Amino acid sequence: MEIVTQNNNNMLVTPPKKSLSPFAIARKKFIKNKLAMISLIFLMIVSIVSILAPFITTADITRINIGQMSLEPSAEHWLGTDKAGRDVFTRLLYGGRISLLVGVSCTLFVIALGTLVGSISGYFGGTVDSIFMRFTDFILNFPFLVFVIVLNAILYGKVNGLWVLIGTISMLSWGGIARIVRSKILAEKENEYITAAISIGCSPAKVIMKHLLPNILSTIIVQATITFATMIVAETGLSFLGFGVPQEIPSWGNMLNSANEPDVLQFKLWIWVPPALIITITILSINFIGEGLKDAFNPKSKR
Amino acid sequence: MLKYAFRRILGMIPMLLLTSIVVFSLAKLMPGDSLSGEIDPRNTNPEYIADMREKLGYNYPLPQQYFRWISGFVEGDFGKSTRFKIQVSEVIGERLPNTILLGLSAILITYILAFFMGSYAGRKPYTLMDNLIGGLNYIGLAIPSFIAGVFAIFFFSFKLGWFPSNGSVDIGVTDGTLEWWLSRFHHVFLPAVVLGLLSTASYTQFLRNDIIENSRKDYVRTARSKGTPERKIYHVHILRNSIIPLITFLGFDIVAIISGAIITETIFTYPGLGQLFLQSVGTRDYPVLMTLTMLFSFLTLIGNLVADVLYGVVDPRIRLD
Repeated sequence: MEIVTQNNNNMLVTPPKKSLSPFAIARKKFIKNKLAMISLIFLMIVSIVSILAPFITTADITRINIGQMSLEPSAEHWLGTDKAGRDVFTRLLYGGRISLLVGVSCTLFVIALGTLVGSISGYFGGTVDSIFMRFTDFILNFPFLVFVIVLNAILYGKVNGLWVLIGTISMLSWGGIARIVRSKILAEKENEYITAAISIGCSPAKVIMKHLLPNILSTIIVQATITFATMIVAETGLSFLGFGVPQEIPSWGNMLNSANEPDVLQFKLWIWVPPALIITITILSINFIGEGLKDAFNPKSKR
Repeated sequence: MLKYAFRRILGMIPMLLLTSIVVFSLAKLMPGDSLSGEIDPRNTNPEYIADMREKLGYNYPLPQQYFRWISGFVEGDFGKSTRFKIQVSEVIGERLPNTILLGLSAILITYILAFFMGSYAGRKPYTLMDNLIGGLNYIGLAIPSFIAGVFAIFFFSFKLGWFPSNGSVDIGVTDGTLEWWLSRFHHVFLPAVVLGLLSTASYTQFLRNDIIENSRKDYVRTARSKGTPERKIYHVHILRNSIIPLITFLGFDIVAIISGAIITETIFTYPGLGQLFLQSVGTRDYPVLMTLTMLFSFLTLIGNLVADVLYGVVDPRIRLD
């Protein structure tokens, strides 16, 4: 009896539990969101399997095997082979590596550039703002697909590779992020804590990095998710048209490229359906994660 | 309002000049004679090339060359196609009607579908049908247009045989007859659906959310308290207010259709400007490529301008800044 009372007393003495930080609340909400969690798990499985592709499969992806052209799915080739006799399943794994790599690196570049331009523009305002924003408008006015293809035509034969593609895609896509970050910074910098930070002598870089960016991080994270999906669409679309990842490197878009041939499209489903499905499901799951994050960061949502 | 529109148009001019400079520099970076297309790429005689370069003014300083090119461009002199051996304007003129037909049909399909789905889902939110429409929208947003196109050809052209998978009109039909028009619409339907579905999802979602938001407003409560039938409240009072913001999307449609047309026309081998664009990269027909690049950039600018001006029409507060 006595012990119990003592326990009760102890509990009364302990200070009240600290309330959760905004990110902890968001994490809790996100974990409760079933669709987003399933999508996240799916995306993680796809990424891990793609990264571990060399350890999972043993088939050679580059060698053209005339003896095994266009085989239907079997026990040996789970998803059959393509027109050059390469195993579709193996290529799907290796393709995932490239497509996800392009998606992730483009997203990182786009977010970094957009955040940099947007935060500088929003924080300083005035002339800096109008110069930066006119430049952003200028970039946004380029039809994206057209210019990537034209740049590709110019660089054809000179430099050809994955990083050129990543560079061109990133250079043409940061405008939207810059605008969003700018408007968020504009709203956030009106708060008193920013005036306080400036008054105690924080440098602009410190105010932006330490005080402003953490407070708009949720927006940036949500935008990054959406950008990631867009970048995967951009890569696969360009590769599908033959202007993306160099043909010899397998990517999901390059695999789908064979659907341009009526014969493959009509009769050799196993060659083009797997990449088409995996692209769609991946983008769908990224969108669900994005929605889940948006919901989780939104203090008004009840879920 | 006129003043606002005029200001936006004036603001567009420096953008247009800058864009033309970028396109010019890109054209200069391209191998061969990508501005006029007069030099025969198969004739590799250095004397001939030097001669032609002199004649075409390629030895002048760059700014001078730029002014020559841009003044010719404004007058409609786009140079000569190296592949077809005719004026670029003729090559483009031949294909332009196809792309316009495709674009208009796509916009029409988008608006019709989005109108019906959006207004239904907005009127009865959180019902089974609304969730179904929402689910469809999710899938619509996730499927890239090229995958949708490939699946559409596979099911509707190859498996069901309802629509042709390529071309813009049947061979051997006389121009201008009813049969000819029917054949054209038959050919344009599938690519237009694929192109139109691209923006349908976001339109539907926008309309739905706007209707839900409007239905909570005071004027709806007033209408209800007066005894206005529920049907009339939705079809007249709310719909009128919710449709207006949708108009502003029209400008972005122009932009979306340009890149959409490149992909869709290639998949459906539909002879329009998008297909011509990709072909001219493949065949290194640089004069055509550069003219189309300029044209697409110009249209994108116009699209953004239209969106801006329409915003001003819909929301008078925007005109002030």
